[in-house]
Amino acid sequence: MKAQAGKYGLKRWVVAGLALAFLCCAWSLGLTPAGLVPPDSQHWDRTGEFFRAALNPALDYEDENVPADAEPIWWKGIKGVFLTLKFAFGAMSLAVPTALVLGFLGSSAWWPEPCGGKTRLILRAVYFISRLFMSLIRSIHELIWALLFLSAMGVSPLAGMIALALPFSGTLGKVFSELIDEEARDAAQALKAIGHGPVQIFLVGILPRAMPNLITYSFYRFECALRSSAVLGFVGIETIGLYIELSHEEFYYREVWTYLYLLIAMIVVVDLWGAGIRRRLHTSTGGCAI
Amino acid sequence: MSGLLFVSLMSSSFQIDQVTCRFGELRAVNNVSFEIRKGEQVALIGPSGSGKTTLIQLLNTMRVPDEGRLTVLQNEVSVLTPRELRRLRTTLATIPQHLGLVPNLTAIQNVILGQGGRRGALRSLRDLLFPSRADALEIHAILDRVGIEEKLYSRVNRLSGGQQQRVAIARAIFQHPEVLLADEPVSSVDPARARDTVKLLCELSAEHGFTLCVSLHDLALAREFFPRLIGMRRGHIVFDGAPEALSSEDQRALYELSNEEMMVDA
Repeated sequence: MKAQAGKYGLKRWVVAGLALAFLCCAWSLGLTPAGLVPPDSQHWDRTGEFFRAALNPALDYEDENVPADAEPIWWKGIKGVFLTLKFAFGAMSLAVPTALVLGFLGSSAWWPEPCGGKTRLILRAVYFISRLFMSLIRSIHELIWALLFLSAMGVSPLAGMIALALPFSGTLGKVFSELIDEEARDAAQALKAIGHGPVQIFLVGILPRAMPNLITYSFYRFECALRSSAVLGFVGIETIGLYIELSHEEFYYREVWTYLYLLIAMIVVVDLWGAGIRRRLHTSTGGCAI
Repeated sequence: MSGLLFVSLMSSSFQIDQVTCRFGELRAVNNVSFEIRKGEQVALIGPSGSGKTTLIQLLNTMRVPDEGRLTVLQNEVSVLTPRELRRLRTTLATIPQHLGLVPNLTAIQNVILGQGGRRGALRSLRDLLFPSRADALEIHAILDRVGIEEKLYSRVNRLSGGQQQRVAIARAIFQHPEVLLADEPVSSVDPARARDTVKLLCELSAEHGFTLCVSLHDLALAREFFPRLIGMRRGHIVFDGAPEALSSEDQRALYELSNEEMMVDA
């Protein structure tokens, strides 16, 4: 009883500590509840205008300088959505194979056993170097990578794609290696007993088994890549984010909402598709009798 | 004399000479000696924890003896290099207790991996994605023989426990082994199916001429189908002979709890 009381006491202290930390942060950043309210009538008007525009998205350009024969705004928006999709897909196409290689190197599932001396030392070095590399590339956000690449390569689609692919390879690779390491090893042991080599066991015994989880996670990351790819528009890469940014700068809020609705529609469609894939993959692996 | 010894070696699958295998303080297999000749059908019997699984793991070379000499198909195991060990294992089929199938691959993909040890990584990968016609035909025939030919392209995790067991047997047959070792192959199926499975293993051994060594906790099944029983108790061999020779005294020695063990159980 005493131990239990002690445990609850500890929890109480942790919660109190977190609350105190929050208050310290808020105080040092100068946060007050008053900050939630727009400071003056001009900001009030702008906020009101922005949310009113949500009910009335633009079906035509608000900018009067757009020539009459320009493509309609909804078509521009749809093209922007597809550009966003293309970036995300391209980045994932680079990131998944890279992550598979990094995930393999950063996993211990394929190490031969028993393995001693020099081999073990080399394998451990490979393991740590690949893990370190993965954490390095994912510790820098894609927006920062994009700024670096844009200043090095100029505004090019390739720069945007690599900027997106790099941190995604790091995150995917780390999770891949963990999913692979967590997979049950009974099939691997059985294949080893009939003469399969370590890399072979990884390829035919462990990887296929981890595949449903790898696919599910890759799909989730694809959804993240879509959002990130839209955000890359804000640093000048041509995705739907760029159109949102340009319209927003000119206070064309109704145009902003047209683009936002198209973006939301795409994300919802991709989410539904992903949920369908997850359901299919997981009902079929759940039925294992052994 | 040496000629005789040579003949005896040539015709034996396993020669075990005073072999001991330890886990820390526990001697899971303790000073065991016997020989299994080519084509023989042997049942390892004994209560759980008697060392049967460890013995199977010694025979399939996944464990190396701590003491004694183990010769598998004329190869002394302790002196083999890892590469030689792998080559030897391609001739030893093992059906582990939990079958060791890859659950989300199809039956044909699992069975084709039986030859993987000989074929190497790239060929195995190709086999999984694009099985050759010859392999598909052979595997279909094997699945037909074990009674699940309609499951060729079914994913293993959608099959029943009994059907999965058949896939594991088919994988072992496709391996074209010289020896088939099975660890408690019937521990997870009902009695009628257990009998069918043991019968099937014995028939396949006779048809293909491979040595069969099966660990069983069901004494009745072992007596019905196997011409030779090896009984283990606490890592020792307490019986080695034909089922007819197994007296009720031997059975007591095998299965009856000693006072000491009853204390542990209580």
